[in-house]
Amino acid sequence: MSFFLQFMIDVLSLGGAYALMALGLVIVYGILRLVNFAYGELIMVAGYTMYLTSGSGLPWLVMAAVAVLMAMLAGIATDYVAFRPVRAKSVTAVLITSFAFSTLLQNAALLFISPRPRNVPLPEIFSETVQFAGVITPARNLITIATAVVMLALFSWLMRRTVLGIAMRAAATNFTMARMLGVPANLVISSAFAISGLLAGVVSMLWIGRIGAVVPGIGLEPLLIAFIATVIGGMRSLQGAVLGGFLLAFMDTTLNFTLPQDLLKFRDAFTFSLVILILLWRPQGLIKGPASGQRT
Amino acid sequence: MTIRTNALVGAGLAALLLATPAIAAEDEILIGGALSLTGVQAPLDTPGFKGAQVAVKALNDAGGLLGKKVKFINIDGKSDPVTVGNVAVQLIDEGAKLMVAPCDFDFGGPASREAQSAGIVGISTCASDPLYSSWSLGDKQFTLSMWNTTMGATAADYALKERGWKTAYVVTDQFIAYTKSLSKYFVEHFKTIGGEILLEDTYTNGDNDFSAQLSRLQALGKKPDVIFISSYGTDIAVMIRALREVGYNAPVLGGDSYDEPAIHEALGKKLGNDIYFVTHTWMGPEAHPDMPKFIQLYKDMYGEDPDTSFVATGWDTVMLMAEAVKIAGTTDGAAVAKALEEGEFKLLTGDLSYKDADGGHAPDKAAVLVELKGGTPSFLGWRRPASIPNP
Repeated sequence: MSFFLQFMIDVLSLGGAYALMALGLVIVYGILRLVNFAYGELIMVAGYTMYLTSGSGLPWLVMAAVAVLMAMLAGIATDYVAFRPVRAKSVTAVLITSFAFSTLLQNAALLFISPRPRNVPLPEIFSETVQFAGVITPARNLITIATAVVMLALFSWLMRRTVLGIAMRAAATNFTMARMLGVPANLVISSAFAISGLLAGVVSMLWIGRIGAVVPGIGLEPLLIAFIATVIGGMRSLQGAVLGGFLLAFMDTTLNFTLPQDLLKFRDAFTFSLVILILLWRPQGLIKGPASGQRT
Repeated sequence: MTIRTNALVGAGLAALLLATPAIAAEDEILIGGALSLTGVQAPLDTPGFKGAQVAVKALNDAGGLLGKKVKFINIDGKSDPVTVGNVAVQLIDEGAKLMVAPCDFDFGGPASREAQSAGIVGISTCASDPLYSSWSLGDKQFTLSMWNTTMGATAADYALKERGWKTAYVVTDQFIAYTKSLSKYFVEHFKTIGGEILLEDTYTNGDNDFSAQLSRLQALGKKPDVIFISSYGTDIAVMIRALREVGYNAPVLGGDSYDEPAIHEALGKKLGNDIYFVTHTWMGPEAHPDMPKFIQLYKDMYGEDPDTSFVATGWDTVMLMAEAVKIAGTTDGAAVAKALEEGEFKLLTGDLSYKDADGGHAPDKAAVLVELKGGTPSFLGWRRPASIPNP
């Protein structure tokens, strides 16, 4: 029983972080049909903001809020720098500009800060443990689960109940039609990037909370996770991204627990084989999402 | 449009670089460097690069080498083995007489192979895998670092012989040759001298999740005397944090990848205790009488204290080259290699002598032991293991 509980906490806390990562990627994809490869750098931006504000003596929550805000600004900047100028031209151009922006941000951190890891302050509670029902677990894991639940609820409310959310869903379903009915394209897209940045910022706090330091390449792993999760869940569906995130965490954790030592080093091969199987079964991903409109 | 502008700027820069070739003058000795200042290798190569520059300035201020001025040109190897090789070729074409190779077999190997085929000596700043040998790279190639055989053996000796920790739990990150071979030699030597390995586990770099490993360790039912973690980068802090949080307070041992202030700070006062690691040097006068001088020169050049002890590997690489050239009286590859094989050198990163080319240029080198207490490192002393495992 206690083993099962431990396992569930591990899966849910990892899955919560993965789901938020995936959601941040898919919200932009849903509208633009383009993967934002500079997404991982939003996580990096939040991390370095924490590092740079760490000497200020502000309370941790204020620093975290500033960091999340910076990630949102960086998200909006991605739109202005990499997407908006070339959006109407070609898919290839946008793909390359998003890669370029990612490289630019990474190298800026490398040149102006340091290629070596830099410390990020963590609140005391991130290093504490909680004991219940025979399980000892870091409080961080429970915080991650709670944060994921709150963020997902907030996000769901935003998408269903607010004008902005409805406009974004409309744009994701049929962008041209939505524009004809008076949905401002630039506003919707910028909002999507801002929300993407918000999710990246929150994820950054949770992800860096496991590490305690930030490096220029920190965004690579989350980007990869988010990408795989959205591919499994369905690139067009927000629910799919969340499901994909949790499923990926479940697969990784299960494999970590069950594979023998000799095979454990090939874990990623097993994970990707499972991903291929899922895609053979459901080429669109697990949840199909709205009928595909034309890319704008 | 953005792309086109970028391409134009890029082409312009390339033209500029090509237009000003740095052909070595007669009164200069050119040392080429293929260190990576960008990409995944940058955290290890950038400090080496900075240390090397300090050394070159110190050499020239003291009158140069063989009466000639020393010039050091490093072209960014970009953490790409192919680029590293190309850069080395370019530097050799420009007249490089010695080659500073990047700090890892995968990245440094290509530079050393080019140096070998040009008949010049190449030294890697800190490649520690025994693959970095004259067996695989040629009879004029060396690494400044101790091999993982020494690093693993020093850790095992310290655990069992000095502290009497008899049972070990070993975690190996499957990241690179370095992380894998360090565990291998630790385990081998620990068993040879009579220790027992309770459990060996693997970790994937970047996972940031140690829960499965923890539950396997908990399922063991026994607590190890010592925990050996061979990993790289911030993942070390992730694992130690995870272990400490659930009550595994056994001492943790590791290699030179622990020698990173950010990791120490990330663990902090609460979790950064009872951690020991084997590394290249210690940035204080206890390690070497010349260390304060080096730190002062470094400060004069960069206006700040070195942020890692890896800067000393760059200084040492250049100084070792200079000393060998002085002994040989020439920069000729074969003569310098012979001087390196025969000499005994007292470096900031430890006393060093090499085996001959048939012996793989195996470095017989002293290692530093550092203890982390309350997130602050302290110097435990130099160690030179009496016996080491075969590579």
